[in-house]
Order: sequence, then structure tokens, then C-alpha cells
Amino acid sequence: MSDIAVRTSELGKRYRDGWALRDCTLEIPAGSVTALVGPNGAGKTTLLHLVIGLSRQTSGTVEVLGLSPRSDAKAVLPRLGFVAQDHPLYRALTIAETFTLGRRLNAQWDEGFARERAGRLGLDLDKKVGKLSGGQQAQVALTMALAKRPDVLVLDEPVASLDPLARREFLNGVLEAVVETGMTVILSSHIVSELERVCDHLITLADSRTQLAGSIREIVAGHRLLTGPRSDAASVARIHDVIRETHTERQTTLLVRANGHVYDSCWEQHEVDLEEIVLAYLGYRPGMRDTSPAREAVPS
Amino acid sequence: MSRVAWRLQRTETAVVAGILALLAVLLIPTGIQMANAYHSDGLNACRALNIGPSCAARIGEFQSRFQALTVLANWFTLVPGLIGVLLAAPFILDLEHGTYRLAWTQGITRRRWLAGKLGILVLTAVVASGALALLMAWWRSPQADLNGRLDTGVYDTAGIVVVGYAVFALGLALALGALWRRSAASLTVAFVGYFAMRIFVDYWLRNRLVSPLQGSWRGLRQPQFLYHAQIMSESGGSGKGGFKSGGPLGGHAQMAVPGNASHTLFHAVYQPASHFWPLQLSETALFTGIAALLIAFAAWWTHERIA
Repeated sequence: MSDIAVRTSELGKRYRDGWALRDCTLEIPAGSVTALVGPNGAGKTTLLHLVIGLSRQTSGTVEVLGLSPRSDAKAVLPRLGFVAQDHPLYRALTIAETFTLGRRLNAQWDEGFARERAGRLGLDLDKKVGKLSGGQQAQVALTMALAKRPDVLVLDEPVASLDPLARREFLNGVLEAVVETGMTVILSSHIVSELERVCDHLITLADSRTQLAGSIREIVAGHRLLTGPRSDAASVARIHDVIRETHTERQTTLLVRANGHVYDSCWEQHEVDLEEIVLAYLGYRPGMRDTSPAREAVPS
Repeated sequence: MSRVAWRLQRTETAVVAGILALLAVLLIPTGIQMANAYHSDGLNACRALNIGPSCAARIGEFQSRFQALTVLANWFTLVPGLIGVLLAAPFILDLEHGTYRLAWTQGITRRRWLAGKLGILVLTAVVASGALALLMAWWRSPQADLNGRLDTGVYDTAGIVVVGYAVFALGLALALGALWRRSAASLTVAFVGYFAMRIFVDYWLRNRLVSPLQGSWRGLRQPQFLYHAQIMSESGGSGKGGFKSGGPLGGHAQMAVPGNASHTLFHAVYQPASHFWPLQLSETALFTGIAALLIAFAAWWTHERIA
């Protein structure tokens, strides 16, 4: 068993109206809680659907636990837990009936866990799912995925439709399960806040390309915000990777990926938080920096 | 899987059962009444081709007495379509509401899910339409005795074709539902399509599946071969006194005869009573064959194209 839970290589998916995901290569370490962050339309849902075998790729490969989620579905499905966007459930079923559905459709099913978790969340098992609040439905959907006792849990925008309190409760549920089982979690989101509390790895996806992939601790440690008198960033860019540059009349601010080199003393160094790094990367295109508007603002 | 599929189509199964119960409430008392009248009027003694005037009068009285009900029951030919279309709903709603994403990420493959779901739906449609056909066959039996089983209203509400009609409507709704993932539109269009297909088969295709026969005779007494037959067209005489009538469904073997025609040569195109089973079987095969293709398409499209 490799220590990589999910591996994709040049993975692509084309729909009738064009490519939804293209040349996506990434690795998700086993046991990690990985956030997949990107703007709407970046291909996050497409990528996750390919990972769980809901759809089939047009090009490239995807491996989950060393197997193909589509052609080895019989072996992969029992080891995967999935909560789709908007957490679909059969609204006419009660919670208890929903669990029965889970029990009948899964060889491995922890009914005791499901009922205990529902009880802990104050959910009435005889209540129809359609009558629950959005947050409660999300919790039922998460319970369904967790009761499979999966090795890999995939959550597609699980908290996007929830209010802040429900969002916190949902993520706490994920955290508890991770602590308890040590499973791998992949969680997509276009919201960066809150993720740092739950996730230890992060992958950014924009235009179906990954810009940043790695442990959050290393990502945060590896980036610096430099401020200094207004100047050309070219001298810094020769040795450092400049992710974003902004200029005011007197000052230039650079977000750089540190690579061990020391900085010129004219730059003041600051720590930078994850959200700012992610936002900078989502606007960052390698090789495009020279034509960016910020660059043009610099007088020559 | 099959128990889950049962649970998820409970509402639709209950609606179909409700429709059948409603029909039973209407048909069972009137059917008993009709059977009693048939026996008390001694109509079983009138089962012959050229009956006497007293029999003809009694048959006429019996038929006019139950005419309103008979005309109403002719409409029940739409019920198999309704049953089929309704039973497609659990499948289409799954796609429309996105709940298939929950179902397909449990421990079983989507192939098994599709087989279970579609299998139980087809089974329900077959059982429900079979029950309908049996109920109608029992209810119609006095009239079938008098008019033959090829009579409109008996042929297409009380025969094995009813099962073919129901699975065809189901298949059409499933195929459209897989394509569109919109239950209201799919069910409506499938029902209209069912109706159109029925009209096409009734008025055009049926007599091409099993060719009708032709026969000629002289005089007013109807020949034996027209007993319980379905007449497509008939003609007699020539010139001024002649007549010609016809229509795809024709009528029961009772002819409108012009004036004094005791020596006139008559000619008829007809489906004899013996064609009942060849017609039923070929039409059932046609409808179930198309249904099988449509259901296979729905399954394939869902398996390959939906994510």
C-alpha cells in the first residue's frame, strides 16, 4: 500500500461545451486532510467526480488507493465516502430509513455509529429528511458517508450552502472522524477561511491547473510578504519567485515564495496568512507575470 | 438492492395500486350486474351467427343497457400508458434531484443499481398491467361472448397486449427521462407518445402485422367465417343499389344492408376470430421489443453519460 491515497496524472475531462478539467496532475498523501481550493468553475467538482468514479475521464489517469475508481468500482466504492454538493438525500425517507438504505447498499456499514452520531447531533431518527434544516441534512449526508467507514472521504463544497454555525458544526464532525479513524479527507471549497483549522494540506486549482500543492504549514512558512520603497521587482524576481506584486506611489509589496536565499535589506519581511497566499495564487499564472497590469504600472 | 428500490418507488406503486383499486370499485359491482343480466336474459343461448329475432332483441336490450359503461371502459385503454409513465417517475426523479449521486457512491456499482431499480420498475408495470388486463377480461366476458374478443375495448383492454402497452410507456418515459432529467416534461411527452403510438398501431400497423382475410357470399345471411370477426371494410351490390363502407377498426359483424339484397353479392375484408392470438402476440412482441430497446438505452445512457 502506497502512502499516496489519490494520484492523478494529466487527468482531463471534456464535456460537449469544452474541457472542464485538463492536464491535472496531483498527489494526495494518505492520512492527510486536503483542501482543494479554487474559484467556481475551476474544475473542482469534475476532479472529485473523477476521483470517486461518478464520471469517466477523457484523458490521463486517476488512481484511488492504487485502483481505478471506474474500472475497479467494485473494490473502490466500499472504501470511499462521498458527500456531493448540496448533499442530496431522499427527502421522502426518514433518517432511520436513510440509514437502512445505507445498510442495504453497503457490505461494510456501521449502523451503531450512524445512530449514535445522529443521536449526538440531536436528530430525530423518525423525522423525514425533507423536513430537516440544511445543516441537519448536511450532517445526515456526512453520517451516511462516515458510517461506510471509508478509507477516503471526499466532500464536494460541503459547507458552501451552510450558515456559519452549521459550517462550524459540520467541519467539527469531519475533524472528529479524522481524529478517530485517521482516514484521508479531500474537501473542495471556494472559501479559504475555516479551512486552516481543519486541513493540513492544500491544493489550489485554477483553470484546472494546480499552482500550489503541499502541507499548509510548509506553504505558510515558505511565503513572505516583502514591503519596500517603490521599485522594480525584477531584481527580486531573479532569485525569488514573485507571486504577486502591488504598488502604491511610495511602496512596493511583493508576495514571494521563499527559497532559502536572503533578502536585500531594503525589504521589510512579514509573515503572510494562508488566505492571502491562496488568493495570490489563484490570480497567478506562471509566465504571465510580465504582462500583468501591476507590472505595467511600474515606470521604466 | 431490490428492497431499497421497492422503498424508493413506494409512492408511485401506491398511486398505481390506487388507480387499480378505483377501477375495481367501478368494475366489480357492474361486472357482477352484467354477468347476472347476461345469464338471466339467457344470452348464452344466443351465441350463434344467425340468431332469431327474440335473441336479437334481447342482445340489443342488453347492449343498450350497459352502453354507457362500455363506452367508458373503452377509455381504459389509456390506463396501461398511465401506469407505465407513472412508474418511470422514481427513476427520473433520482436523476432530476441528484440523489443518484448518493446511491451510486454507496458500496454497490451503478450497474447493479440500475439493474435493481429498472428491474423492479418493469416487474411492477407487468404485474399492475396484468392485473388490469385480468380485471377487464373478466368484466368484458359477457360482451366478448356476444361480440368476440376482437371487439374494440376487449382486444386492447383485456388482452396480453395491455402488458406490452404498459412496458412500452414505461420504456419511453425512462428513455426521455434519462436524456432530459426532467420528470414533468418526460412523463407528459411519454404519455403523448404512447397515445400517438397506439393510434399508429390501431389504425395502420395492426392489419399489416397479421393480414386480414377476404371473403364473398350471396344473400343476407352472414356466413360462418364472419362469426366474431372484425370487419375492416365491406361492400355489396353494384351501381345505384351498391354500398361500400369501411374503416380501420370497422365494426362488429353486423352489416348495414341496402334495400332488397337477398341475391346481392357481398364482399368483406375481415380479421377472423382465429386471428386473436396471432394479433395479440405479434403486437405484444412489437411493444415489448421497443420497450426493451428503450429501457436498454435509458440504462446505457445513464451508465455512461450521467455523472
